[in-house]
Amino acid sequence: MPEPRLGHPHLGMGVGLRSAHYPHILQEQPDVDWFEIISENYMDSQGRPRYVLEQIAERYPIVMHGVSLSIGSTDPLNHEYLHRLKSLAESIDAQWISDHLCWTGVAGRNTHDLLPVPLTEATLRYVVERIRIVQDVLERPFVLENPSSYVTFACSEMPEWEFITRMAEEADCGLLLDVNNVYVSSVNHDFDPVEYIENVPHERIVQCHLAGHTNCGTHLIDTHDGQVIDPVWDLYRRAHQLTGGMSTLLEWDARIPAFPVVHAEVLKAKQYISDESDALDGMTERHAPDQTRPEQKADSLVAQTVVPHPAVLVETEVE
Amino acid sequence: MTDSMAELDRLQRWMQSVITHPDGVAAGIDSETARELIEIRSGSIEQVISRSKALDSIQRLHVYGNAYYARLIDCMKGEFPATLAALGDESFGGFVMGYLQSFPSTSYTLGDLGREFPAYLANSRPPREIDGPDWADFLVELATLERVYSDVFDGPGEERITLLSADDLSAIPPDRWGDVRLQTAASLHLRTFQFPVQDYIAAVRKQETATIPQPEETWLAINRRDYIVRRRPLSRLPYQLLLQLQQGETLGDAIEVMLVQADMEVDTNSFASRLQEWFRNWTADGYFFGVTLETDQSETK
Repeated sequence: MPEPRLGHPHLGMGVGLRSAHYPHILQEQPDVDWFEIISENYMDSQGRPRYVLEQIAERYPIVMHGVSLSIGSTDPLNHEYLHRLKSLAESIDAQWISDHLCWTGVAGRNTHDLLPVPLTEATLRYVVERIRIVQDVLERPFVLENPSSYVTFACSEMPEWEFITRMAEEADCGLLLDVNNVYVSSVNHDFDPVEYIENVPHERIVQCHLAGHTNCGTHLIDTHDGQVIDPVWDLYRRAHQLTGGMSTLLEWDARIPAFPVVHAEVLKAKQYISDESDALDGMTERHAPDQTRPEQKADSLVAQTVVPHPAVLVETEVE
Repeated sequence: MTDSMAELDRLQRWMQSVITHPDGVAAGIDSETARELIEIRSGSIEQVISRSKALDSIQRLHVYGNAYYARLIDCMKGEFPATLAALGDESFGGFVMGYLQSFPSTSYTLGDLGREFPAYLANSRPPREIDGPDWADFLVELATLERVYSDVFDGPGEERITLLSADDLSAIPPDRWGDVRLQTAASLHLRTFQFPVQDYIAAVRKQETATIPQPEETWLAINRRDYIVRRRPLSRLPYQLLLQLQQGETLGDAIEVMLVQADMEVDTNSFASRLQEWFRNWTADGYFFGVTLETDQSETK
């Protein structure tokens, strides 16, 4: 039986590092437990992003979170990418490296989206084999995240929780449980999110993600553009009970507010886990709007262009 | 590749072709490319993509289809804010849609996404109707300089090395100046334009009113200092001198080429004074990190 979090440290409550917050973090050195970076924004940088990261890494633990590994793609693994990832991890002493159970493109292309894989026995065998290769190259703890998704495949043979459970156990890797993604996908695919949380291998959950999403009426989109809603906090609390605690991180990637607002959002997690019998008593800010599952609304909502993450680009600074 | 992997490969190629189809996922499903992979029409799509209680299969695929172009157009807006301001939202989006079809991303990083955009704009420009620089030239030049800014911002720089100072140059005996060969900073980019595009870009970035400028031959030195992109407008002579030096010529040869190209003779005294001023500015801006003397090749810095 593996140790809780596979023996990896409980880093506390962290925040996704975004360039809009560089000045605040460098000047104020806020009391944040740890930061998670988007690996691709730093692995080739020879400019300010890398310089800032090096300063932050001297003071805070860093976890690397990627969006382009494409573990589920039928394209060959990009070994140049893996070696650059490894090199960055070494230079900032990253606690672990994560990415998503997804594919981002095929035939040499990158859609820069996190696309779902069909949940079949064949895909499972294929992904497990690729995770083993990635782990051999990286020589650092490797963790995969459950993605949010908007389609399911008719050929799928098992629920997602079973796929990621078997994947993690057979490949002997960690899991990044994104409770917002579980909630988003549960609404989009009509499954029970609590059943999902209760059935994944809790001792393999190294880290957790929290984020806001957009309710489009007929479905949810994982936009990372707002506060965490109560049903997601409830799933988080359940996951905390089952795992005994996990490094927790808030992602906020669009309409990004000032750093203290983002930090305060993740610190709410402490209140949710401090008294698990009724964590929310006394909280004045119970929730963000749009708490309920979406009901059927106008079809026009479906056609709205609401963009799921990821699209994190560091913007150029010019005198 | 096993049969099951061939099936996964076919499914992924099919889905990619459907969600990136410029006319939407229904057109994508019915396209020849998609049907060569999975022979199915949009009406039967539930055989591949399941429906949910709230959405049918096409609507579900729309989420990815809508997001593909929207996400990448947003990224391009972030990299090319002045080109966006000049073109307007709709036209800019149309050009990026075309660009992404001609140059779909093949890189793991969004930092590479806009690399070919200036060339794409240049190749898709309308026929020239006037003599001299026109609106299309202005757009191409805007995109070109914005891309240079991106390259300089996150590319190689000199923040961690000691740069050459004016005092370092002063230490070289005057009779050896002609033999000086300078090592120019990796971040230094030299570009000429037909419009003062740097002013338009600066106005957009400062969220000031940006007016389309009249054509004006422009010579720019762009580099990075303290991790911020800097640009210095030059006149033609110093630009040509700097260009020769960047190409590895000795200072003596670079001056000769510059004068021939400018077809001018100089007053030695006044020219020496201008030269000193140029090098004072250039060393202050951090354009050089080393110097060698032609005859002995010994590095003095």
